[in-house]
Amino acid sequence: MPIKNIVYAQREHGGDLRSLDDYLAAGGYKGLEATLGMSPDDALYQFHRSGLRGRGGAGFPMGRKAGFLPKDSAKPSYVVCNADESEPGTFKDREIMELNPFQLIEGVTIAGFAVGAARGYIYIRGEYEHQARILDEALAAARADGRLGGDIMGSGFEYDITLSRGAGAYICGEETGLLESLEGKRGQPRLKPPFPAVGGLYQSPTLINNVETLSALPPIMTHGADWYAEMGTEKSPGTKIFSVSGHVLKPGNYEIVLGDTTLRELLYDICGGFREGQDFKACWVGGSSVPVLGAEHLDTPLDYESLQEAGTFLGSAGCIVMDTSGCIVRSSLRLAHFYRHESCGKCTPCREGTMWMEKVLQRIVDGGGRMEDLDLLDAMFGRISGRVLCALADGAVAPVQSAVELFRDDFVRAIEKGAPEPEPMMEAPVG
Amino acid sequence: MTADEIRAHIDPMRHEFAESRSLVLPALKFAQTEKGHLDRDDLAAVADAVGLTSAYVESVASFYDRLYLKPTGKRIVSVCVTLSCLLRGSDELLRRIEEREGLPHGVGTTDDGELTVQEAQCLGYCDRAPCVQVDVDETMGPLSADDVERLLDDLRAGDRPERLWR
Repeated sequence: MPIKNIVYAQREHGGDLRSLDDYLAAGGYKGLEATLGMSPDDALYQFHRSGLRGRGGAGFPMGRKAGFLPKDSAKPSYVVCNADESEPGTFKDREIMELNPFQLIEGVTIAGFAVGAARGYIYIRGEYEHQARILDEALAAARADGRLGGDIMGSGFEYDITLSRGAGAYICGEETGLLESLEGKRGQPRLKPPFPAVGGLYQSPTLINNVETLSALPPIMTHGADWYAEMGTEKSPGTKIFSVSGHVLKPGNYEIVLGDTTLRELLYDICGGFREGQDFKACWVGGSSVPVLGAEHLDTPLDYESLQEAGTFLGSAGCIVMDTSGCIVRSSLRLAHFYRHESCGKCTPCREGTMWMEKVLQRIVDGGGRMEDLDLLDAMFGRISGRVLCALADGAVAPVQSAVELFRDDFVRAIEKGAPEPEPMMEAPVG
Repeated sequence: MTADEIRAHIDPMRHEFAESRSLVLPALKFAQTEKGHLDRDDLAAVADAVGLTSAYVESVASFYDRLYLKPTGKRIVSVCVTLSCLLRGSDELLRRIEEREGLPHGVGTTDDGELTVQEAQCLGYCDRAPCVQVDVDETMGPLSADDVERLLDDLRAGDRPERLWR
């Protein structure tokens, strides 16, 4: 259960590695140095061998994704870093960028070398302007020190990174929505195929990965793929940052080895448990777009396969926790509100379905619910999921559907008497 | 804002994108810094600077929450209302703003036109919930309802920033 500081390296080095000198003193850029000494194919093989899986939510093996880019493309290839972190409950990428920006920049450079990219892009959500300014400064420092631009670190490799800012849209975290936005369009997801690896940014081969995924590359290339793969389980190698928020006493980002910590240990031992008189009620462990878990799942080890067996997903590991003071019906309504607001409107089942889901839940919370509303919700779930272009709609349905199943009594009580208005937890220490 | 001013802002980044259409978001964000929102003339100036039609530029602008097509206050206060903030009291903050500013559900532009308060969807500061962001300044939290009152007072008393980055 020990806390690791591999991607979250700044924690072992005085809290931040915002200056290039500090980053170098902490062993920074050794991974890129090692990468530049091998062939791009060997670097790709290292990604593959490490077993690193995409940390943005889908968990797709990173090395395989990078391997999908055609080697003989007439068009330039690109690396795009998804820094549009907007999944409710997820704040790990924010802290990586603000406390350890060079590790991300080094990772984007390593990925660029391996896939032979002409340029890298970091697409950061508009609300993270503070972090964008930190990255701007770090990119300038890397350029001034010959770590970006022409002839990087004397290797002959030429590559630079552009920072692009979003303007407030959750859907731009969906990879093809992001590419549309980067191309100067409304950020609406594309029909796939073609997948980004073949026809991504400007219809060119594009590797697109999350901040945490790319930030894992420098330590992997420094210490070797086997070192990384030895941590964790066979299907879930390495470490993962869990962003824990909600009713725990010590919310925050915690990097753990996958599979060696249970949900109970994370919430009670690492995050300090709950207030006097309160205990665990429910948890959205992988961000808000996953099925909710109840107390019967507290002993689930935190890794991709165990969480899937428990009926949910590891997702982005934005772990939102609610204690017994919370109201599951109100929480479900708030999530339905989020997805209704963020649905891009392209696919009818999502645009209309998220709106009706919110309306029915609002009626229940307001005390006007009817028992048939539970069947109505049930009928809606099946008409939304799987009938759309991207994962937003499934993400909207999963937390609500699972809440109605797992906490049916709470919904029935709310229909009979209206949803209770809980006292929010205001005065709490910040972890 | 004029097309020339927008051009001066986006020209240095032109070479970073294979297609100039990619400059539309940076151009819109910059054009908005003058008044805090975009009117027809701004959309036309962006269209001219990037080489697109006004209709296309408006279709893009209308998609993004942080691009405003109607006048806003001197500062925009975004109160995060998503689940982690709900559990830690975001609705208390909005209730206090509603009481104090007379804004329905706590959101809208105040009568004196100084401040616009809006709901934000997850701002990514869930460990510091409930959190609030002013324009694109660093998000603050955790805040109590009293903290928010003080914040609104300070913002009212404060100067209008030279450029309104939103």
